[in-house]
Amino acid sequence: MTDLNVKKEYLNLVYTDCGKVSAGEKIKKLLAVPGTQYLIFGVILGVFPLLAQLGALTSSFVFAVGNTMIYAIMAIGFCLLMGYSGLASLGTAGFVGIGAYIAYYFMQVYGAPFGIAFIVTVMISLFSGVLVGFISLRIEGIYLAILTLGLSEILRNTFISLKSSIKLDMSKVRLFGVKIGEEQVYLLILALFVLLLFITSNLIRSPIGRALLSVKNSTSAAQAMGINLMKYRVLAFVISTVYAAIAGLMYMMLLRNMTTSTSTLLSMATSLNILGAVVIGGAKSLWGTTFGVFIIYGLQSTLLSKIPFFVENPAFITMITGLLIILIVMFFPGGIAQMMGNLMQKRKTAKFVANTQRRMDGYGQN
Amino acid sequence: MFAAFLSTVCGSLLSICVTALSAFSVTIIFRTSTTANFAQGSIAAFGCYVVAECLNRWGVPVYLGVLPGMIVGVVIGLFIDLMVFRKGRHVGELGKQIITMGFVSLFYGGIPLVFGNPEFIPFESFYNTTKAGVESNVVLRVFGGEIVLTKHALICAAITAVVLAALFLLLKYSKWGLGVRCTASSEFTAELMGINTHVITAISWALACALGVLAAVMYAGGGAMISTSFMGTIQVNAFLACILGGFATFYGPIVGAVLIPVLSNCVGFLANFPAFYDISRWQMVIVYVLLLAIILLKPQGLFGKKVVKKV
Repeated sequence: MTDLNVKKEYLNLVYTDCGKVSAGEKIKKLLAVPGTQYLIFGVILGVFPLLAQLGALTSSFVFAVGNTMIYAIMAIGFCLLMGYSGLASLGTAGFVGIGAYIAYYFMQVYGAPFGIAFIVTVMISLFSGVLVGFISLRIEGIYLAILTLGLSEILRNTFISLKSSIKLDMSKVRLFGVKIGEEQVYLLILALFVLLLFITSNLIRSPIGRALLSVKNSTSAAQAMGINLMKYRVLAFVISTVYAAIAGLMYMMLLRNMTTSTSTLLSMATSLNILGAVVIGGAKSLWGTTFGVFIIYGLQSTLLSKIPFFVENPAFITMITGLLIILIVMFFPGGIAQMMGNLMQKRKTAKFVANTQRRMDGYGQN
Repeated sequence: MFAAFLSTVCGSLLSICVTALSAFSVTIIFRTSTTANFAQGSIAAFGCYVVAECLNRWGVPVYLGVLPGMIVGVVIGLFIDLMVFRKGRHVGELGKQIITMGFVSLFYGGIPLVFGNPEFIPFESFYNTTKAGVESNVVLRVFGGEIVLTKHALICAAITAVVLAALFLLLKYSKWGLGVRCTASSEFTAELMGINTHVITAISWALACALGVLAAVMYAGGGAMISTSFMGTIQVNAFLACILGGFATFYGPIVGAVLIPVLSNCVGFLANFPAFYDISRWQMVIVYVLLLAIILLKPQGLFGKKVVKKV
């Protein structure tokens, strides 16, 4: 009899936290919603230009953050493609070029406003995404990676043949009929980045995301469960292509000129670095991916540029990136996101055990 | 006109040699370790820098300088197989590919650190032309026209032919070749049959990296200049050659490696006709689109077999 009572008491002790909801708990719950997190993240990054005006930050720092966000836009699209549908593509660089060249041709040559250039970018990249998606149905695995590499070479060579160096005049760029400067471009990139983060995170948790995951884990099993392989593969490629093209458009707005034949943006290095960022951060986590992009692109221009050793040897950072990719794939397949997740889980468990122990001890004394 | 056409086709001799060696390296690693080695080009470039160091610092002739480069290639290959791939056996196919992509960054970053400022280092060809009164070209007269070949390309062709012939004979008749073919068809079964697959994969990696360095030295000699990413195009071509020929056989990629440069030069030859005078600008685009079309029509490659997967 007493045994049962002890058990009851113990359970009450353990579950007391579940009943009451304090103000702190409410805030915690609100913070757990991804949308709120992204909004807060966006607000923090949005303050940077203001701080730069006040003199707390240098404008080159703000520029570097904007540049990193552009790569992060590519990476979250790629995250969906690789982490959620298991398709390895090396064509990112080519699709980025589409956006950059549309920015040049529409805004500089034809004098169209930003909105039109944006819509055209989305339309054309949508079309090319569908094309690659259909190719991916016929060819799989490593063949696909090499083929997309070839496709990216085709695009790069096409761009070089079209015009080897492009330049965008900011005086010609109009957003809703208003001329915009560097700060507005930064805010535009930020807004797009937060919006795309939000869309992607919702997509991942929707039935579409689940279907993509099932296709990744077993194509045959997914098909047997009635999932239309064509639809989801094409969708995954369309999303990643559109994101990459948008990133290219914004890159042109921020950097304004590019010599295609020597630019690293359109070379294989970009595709590899984006892949590296996604792997380092964790292919299944948007926060992880963003962090991975920061390690590869942001760290150098924001923090390491203050350390003389890295200024003299910029190649060292490339090397560290490579080493990180190898070590993480070998020992932590889930990337930094999984590492952090494991740590937090361990801490939670330890806390729970300690709490229970304390209460049980107290119970014994009473 | 026919002689001019022949001359254009023969102009691709050096590219054929380089692409064939690289494609063979990619294939042998793909068959034995089931991974595409994306670091093929960067490892080759690294080895080529070692050779360049020997040439420019100590004045070693290139046919001796290529040996330390190939030895470095062997060491790198063994290191990758023994330290990385064997430790990460649980890593999936995609993971292995990503590891090789990590090596690309590692070597691209490593080259400037080890060799100082790396861009546009001069490089010697196999046939040194600095001596006075020595022609570096061979001129053949056929069909009332001239075919001009560089001696460097001819030497490279001879080396490639000897190396590939030896390798194919070894693959066909030696015990090692039998082991490679068994491992390629199924690593697990090969292990059960008493084949030491560890040794087979280690030798494959060492061989592939050494051949890659050899190819890089040939290519560098033709261009007389090296930079960090100078093997990039060759690597893409080698991969496409592998897919074009199909990974299922060892000779398929070699055929692909012959076809791609020839196809490229044939497209370039069209510029001689007035209707296509501007074609050289679009040469690579046309070639890649053609290759893409062939690959889409035959996804398993020209000599590939369809693999049926059981669930």
